Amino acid sequence: MWIEPKELLLPSTFWIAEMYSRYFVLQKRRGHGESRGFGSMLVGTYDSVWNTKPAPYRIVHRTPSSEVSYEIAIGITQDEIAKDWEWLQANLFNVLNEMENEDEVTNFTICKIKSLYTQNNQDETGETADFKVMTSQFRQTFKMPEEERLVNSYSATYVKNKIPRQGQLYISLNHVCFYSYMLGHEVKRIIRFAELEDISRNANTIYLKTTNNMTYNFTLIFNAGEAHLLIEQLNKMAIQQLIQDPESPVVDHDPSNFARLGAKSSKKPVLLRDLTARQKSEEFRIYFRLPQTEIIDGKIKANIWTPYSKRFNAGYIYLSPNFFCFRSDVKDLVSVVIPMKTIKSVEKKDDGQQRFDNQIVIITSENVPFMFAQIVDREVLISKITDLLSRIHVPVSRERAKYDISWSKQTALMNTFKTQFSSDIIRNQEEKMVRWEAHFRDFGRGIGMFRTTDVINLIVEGIPDQLRQEIWLIFSGAIHDKEMNPGLYEDLVEKAACIKDCFAHDEIDRDLPRSLPEHPAFQSTDGIGALRRVLQAYALRNPQVGYCQAMNIVSSVFLLFCDEENAFWMLASLCENLLPDYYKDKVVGAQIDQGVLNELVETHLADLHEHLEQLGVIKMISISWFLTIFMSVISYESSLHILDCFFYEGAKIIFMVALQIIEWNRDKLLKCQDDGEAMLVLQNYLEGIYNPDYQVPPSTDKRKMERSQTQTVQTLIHEAYTKFGEELTQQRIEELRNKHRRLTMRQFDIDNEKTVVKAYLQNPYFDRNELHMLLTIIREEKHALKSMQQQQKAQCSLSETPQLLHHQSPTRVPNDPVLGGSNGRYEAYWVNYEVFHTLFTELTPWRKCVSVDLGEKLFRLTDKKGTGYLDFGQLINALGLVCSSKSMEKLKLLYVLHLPPLLSKAEIERSRRPRPRTKDDAEEAFEAEDFFDDDASESMEALPSPSDHQFDADDYALISATQHLHNLAGISGNTFMDLSRNTPNLSLNSNTSSLAQRNSTFYVDLPAAALPGTTTATATRSDAGRDDDGQEFGLRQQGRYESIDTFSDISDLGAARMTPPPGATAGAASASAAAAAAADKMLLNVETISNFSQISDLVAATRLERADSNATDSRSLGSLGYLLDQPDEGASGSHQTIPHLRKENFQLLWRSIIEIMGCVQDEEMRMAYENLLELGNSNIKKEPSLESFTQLNLGGSGDEQPDSNGNPTTPAAEHSSTTRLFVALEEELRQASGKPSSSRGSSSSSTNTSEAWHISINQFIATVLTVNTIVQGFQTPIQITEQVEQLQKKRRKCLSTNY
Amino acid sequence: MATRKKSLLKVIILGDSSVGKTSLMNQYVNKRFSNQYKATIGADFCTKEVVVNDRVVTMQIWDTAGQERFQSLGVAFYRGADCCVLVYDVTAPNSFKNLDSWRDEFLIQASPRDPEHFPFVVLGNKVDLDNRQVSTRRAQQWCQSKNDIPYYETSAKEGINVEMAFQTIAKNALEQEAEAEVINDFPDQIILNSQNNRPGNPDNCQC
Repeated sequence: MWIEPKELLLPSTFWIAEMYSRYFVLQKRRGHGESRGFGSMLVGTYDSVWNTKPAPYRIVHRTPSSEVSYEIAIGITQDEIAKDWEWLQANLFNVLNEMENEDEVTNFTICKIKSLYTQNNQDETGETADFKVMTSQFRQTFKMPEEERLVNSYSATYVKNKIPRQGQLYISLNHVCFYSYMLGHEVKRIIRFAELEDISRNANTIYLKTTNNMTYNFTLIFNAGEAHLLIEQLNKMAIQQLIQDPESPVVDHDPSNFARLGAKSSKKPVLLRDLTARQKSEEFRIYFRLPQTEIIDGKIKANIWTPYSKRFNAGYIYLSPNFFCFRSDVKDLVSVVIPMKTIKSVEKKDDGQQRFDNQIVIITSENVPFMFAQIVDREVLISKITDLLSRIHVPVSRERAKYDISWSKQTALMNTFKTQFSSDIIRNQEEKMVRWEAHFRDFGRGIGMFRTTDVINLIVEGIPDQLRQEIWLIFSGAIHDKEMNPGLYEDLVEKAACIKDCFAHDEIDRDLPRSLPEHPAFQSTDGIGALRRVLQAYALRNPQVGYCQAMNIVSSVFLLFCDEENAFWMLASLCENLLPDYYKDKVVGAQIDQGVLNELVETHLADLHEHLEQLGVIKMISISWFLTIFMSVISYESSLHILDCFFYEGAKIIFMVALQIIEWNRDKLLKCQDDGEAMLVLQNYLEGIYNPDYQVPPSTDKRKMERSQTQTVQTLIHEAYTKFGEELTQQRIEELRNKHRRLTMRQFDIDNEKTVVKAYLQNPYFDRNELHMLLTIIREEKHALKSMQQQQKAQCSLSETPQLLHHQSPTRVPNDPVLGGSNGRYEAYWVNYEVFHTLFTELTPWRKCVSVDLGEKLFRLTDKKGTGYLDFGQLINALGLVCSSKSMEKLKLLYVLHLPPLLSKAEIERSRRPRPRTKDDAEEAFEAEDFFDDDASESMEALPSPSDHQFDADDYALISATQHLHNLAGISGNTFMDLSRNTPNLSLNSNTSSLAQRNSTFYVDLPAAALPGTTTATATRSDAGRDDDGQEFGLRQQGRYESIDTFSDISDLGAARMTPPPGATAGAASASAAAAAAADKMLLNVETISNFSQISDLVAATRLERADSNATDSRSLGSLGYLLDQPDEGASGSHQTIPHLRKENFQLLWRSIIEIMGCVQDEEMRMAYENLLELGNSNIKKEPSLESFTQLNLGGSGDEQPDSNGNPTTPAAEHSSTTRLFVALEEELRQASGKPSSSRGSSSSSTNTSEAWHISINQFIATVLTVNTIVQGFQTPIQITEQVEQLQKKRRKCLSTNY
Repeated sequence: MATRKKSLLKVIILGDSSVGKTSLMNQYVNKRFSNQYKATIGADFCTKEVVVNDRVVTMQIWDTAGQERFQSLGVAFYRGADCCVLVYDVTAPNSFKNLDSWRDEFLIQASPRDPEHFPFVVLGNKVDLDNRQVSTRRAQQWCQSKNDIPYYETSAKEGINVEMAFQTIAKNALEQEAEAEVINDFPDQIILNSQNNRPGNPDNCQC
């Protein structure tokens, strides 16, 4: 990339020349690339320490006689720089060679390059070349994707183990990263913002603590403050994102909004400027209570003329697209908000004394003049205002016909339902009115009034009823939202009225009479109807909040004093601006503020804090204080008074009053022994707060009479202001909120984790600690994935201007497809395909297998219902088995994973072509399958992408087929885990019973024909039996087999294999088993099912049928799937056979095994392979009719309870019922296909010989288990904790993984 | 703490929103019914002296918010509970269905020492209303399936069965107390630990 030509004095230090021409040199930086000599190392260290960050390649222009060189182009890659070089070659070389004067050459070159540089940079984002280099270095070093945008980088020292390392601290949108390179030693650290638990700064050092309890400290010599603020801000954004709509983009980055005042080109990176502007905008919005969409455009120093005091006050003018605001330097002295649309004229004036210099006068539509003087940059300001005024968008009030005439907007209910006040109170109100009107005369009225301390004083005295609506609207900022969205409320009401069967509406209806029941207005239909409309409209406007109890209470008070639409907008501003996130799921905002209150108590009432903490009182009592602004705990008359202040002060008043209440009850609270007492103390106190200025005549409610008056609300507020008003600033609250937002979210995670672990504690694979680790890593991986995806989305929707509400669509599909679970606690740990795949490859030993994507197969197999998600139970079953030491089960699983349709033919084809596997391969596989799709008979095997859950009926059948395999593999997680998921049940008995059900029942079909009652092979059998016994003991001595059932398998299978085919009998098998059982106290029962067809045959038959008639295939496939799914519902789990493996699949299976073993194949393995091939060959000739299925029902899957299931039992009734089911299934399919397929003979003859090559699972397992290396390899359990730790370390240090 | 002679019973009332938890509590404590209760936000609290087995005990009744999004706040209230009252509305089948999740949630969050035998009491409220939808039999079956939870059909409005139900509650809570004392005769440390651990949760939050 071309750069602004820069003079160089030492053109070749640290650089190696790669190409020469007469006037140009292409150089490469030492210390980059392969060369790792000492010199390179030094240069690398130098670069790292001195923050030079040069691009690795550059082109230098120089003339032979001059000593000065010019850097004219830099490149991050060789290709990039080569392009520039080529351009020089093509365009400049000849021209320059013709020139004679060297100065001319230089001038020409520089001129040319400059023009190129400006040309190229016009369409760019305005980042400097340096920053671009920095960005790409950042991406390369930390392997960040394109979407991860760098904000800024700082030179920093990272101290680890007391060794300081000088390097670069990179701050990007989602990560803090550190890189240093010191004499060959590289240090990389990656910290995600979302995982930060604590951020603090002490002088120049920033301390970070993550949720994994990792601590970091970075010392920055320059800009430590800026970096700290940036980290805080980005962390806040990351955490807010967890709270907020997960769909919303990270940064609503719209450069046009940030065309700053007097826009002198800043050297700061664009994104950093954006973020700073964002931060400032937020403060600005909060201070002036402006709508969320307002983004600050700039501020300018000026003095305002205040007519009431007849003087100028110094301060700043703030401009945003819709508002012109002023704020005095002296806190709360004066502030003004003038909506742009009300500005009628802006005039320059130059008269009078010096203090009137640089004056402008703004006249609003109400002919109110505002005079500003000593404006630093008046011309810029005026042009800016003109610009903003020209762009202003005034929403036209949409006059539209009302569709629904059944309602009309309710006016303030207090007018209809008048309260009979005593004459004292009426007089008091009138006096207040007089004072307010006097105030309006001096300070102006409406939005553009001068806001001074006088108005605060008036508010604290209480607003008269008639003015409440006006003042509330102005100070809450609701008026701006209302004016910007004319007609929206009507729309929402009418839309909401059309929604039927909505849960939120039910909740609202239930609470309508329970909002302000003591007021007559809410005993009438008028009041109730208005409240319903307001709440329903808001639920529709903001689906993320919907309806939360407490909103009804607050809204009902609004409705008393404001008309319906205003009440709606006040509610909106309450939920969106004044009390952020309060009413969302888990009332998270209120919980955060509880944390803040707790900390405030700690600072201000230190002596009480410990005591209260012990009692846990604050958490208990204060939630309603926050959510209802004391309205549910203090009498209505008194809480009104607090509400008056609330609209002016915001949440600050809640904190102040809360502190004051606690402070006042200090002595009583200190005496309390338990939480109940403390609650009573506070309850009694709160109920006794009264408002002498505003006594509603005693109602019928006796409770009011009983109350002993404790305190007037005026004193409470007054004291609160004097004691805590000064120290509690909005800024401090915001800082504390940031901190507690982190902690609260972290606490949610911890709580969730604990609950989930409790629910899954009984799983067979992992203990408590391991479960915790797994949950942690799942959460981290999910966050990482989510933020990446969001960024991609943000990039796409960059041009969209943010709507007032970022979630306008009323019907949003919930993220997780299945309902259930409480509070989404379990869903939080569901993993999708991407996460599962990462976990699989990072944590399990099977990552070594590259020719088949086992992760993908396992996901499909485990994702029973094709939802695209695995719940935690399924996940631990899948990962647990793979990491366990159950070699037998693992081999079985591996076998199943290589069966069609999991392993499709297309994939086999593809895997034969050598190609490196990438992450995107899954997609490619599907493309490949499309390619092969011409073959109708193979389309059966094409599976939809695991993350895609838009299945049609056909897919459903395939999924069912996978489910069938799934059941066979016994890793469903359904039989065991779903129970506990749906009803997280602590009672032991239900879990153990389901555990018992989960005992792996599986079936081994003997390759030999088994005819019941034949006794000829007894002799052979006993020999075999003896052999087996010997073998068994040998194995046991080696301690290889841990579980009894594994044994029984071996012996039985072994016997079957060694017995000459015609002679073997089921009787023999069972006798052998019995012998083994007698010898080893090992118990198993054998059931023979004869005349039974194999699933693979069924599949073949179905496929034939499919070819025959297209009209019915999907239906019958569906029914196949359905039938296959059936046994799962049965109490005893799956009773099916595992299909045979065809040759291609088997070969791949073998390759997988070898790869899992670490790509070594010893003689024994080779032998086993040959054997299996041979077995498969011999299977071709065999008459399938002679095949029968022997079912082995083996005892407990582990050593947990050998006795409960251990005794040889007679085949249970359900077995025979399953048999019937299968016979019926076979029959049905035979009829459907209209062929005498009858599975025996004919089915094998209908398929060609290559397809007929097959081996069965027991042949496979039996053979494989004789191979010591494989058994050993599969028996080694993997410590999941170690794996997880490694993965975390890897993520932290950005180590690469290449499996 | 563990050796403290417990004359205090902590009772938690759980159930969906507007099944009548607050009304039941007030009917029992103040012998009054009002249709003017506000929706409970967070939790409400009452105490009452009762005589159980010739012993005077103070019953602390905690009335909780029913809406689901308040459930996560429950932990603060649940700890140390001696009895849990599950309330549903006989005219609202959903409130009956949700009993399961309320019970599970309580057991998970409160982590009682012996979840199997923790005393629950189920109240089917609003039997004074005509449009009953959940049959007694169904409710009884559910209760039986959960280790024979005592079941009462109440009306907070009419005061039907309220006194009796709370008597049972007090009795069972006291028994639970007694059992706990017997069990904890020996391992005092465990109790101390559990007492120390629980306040630890909020600690984590503030550090």
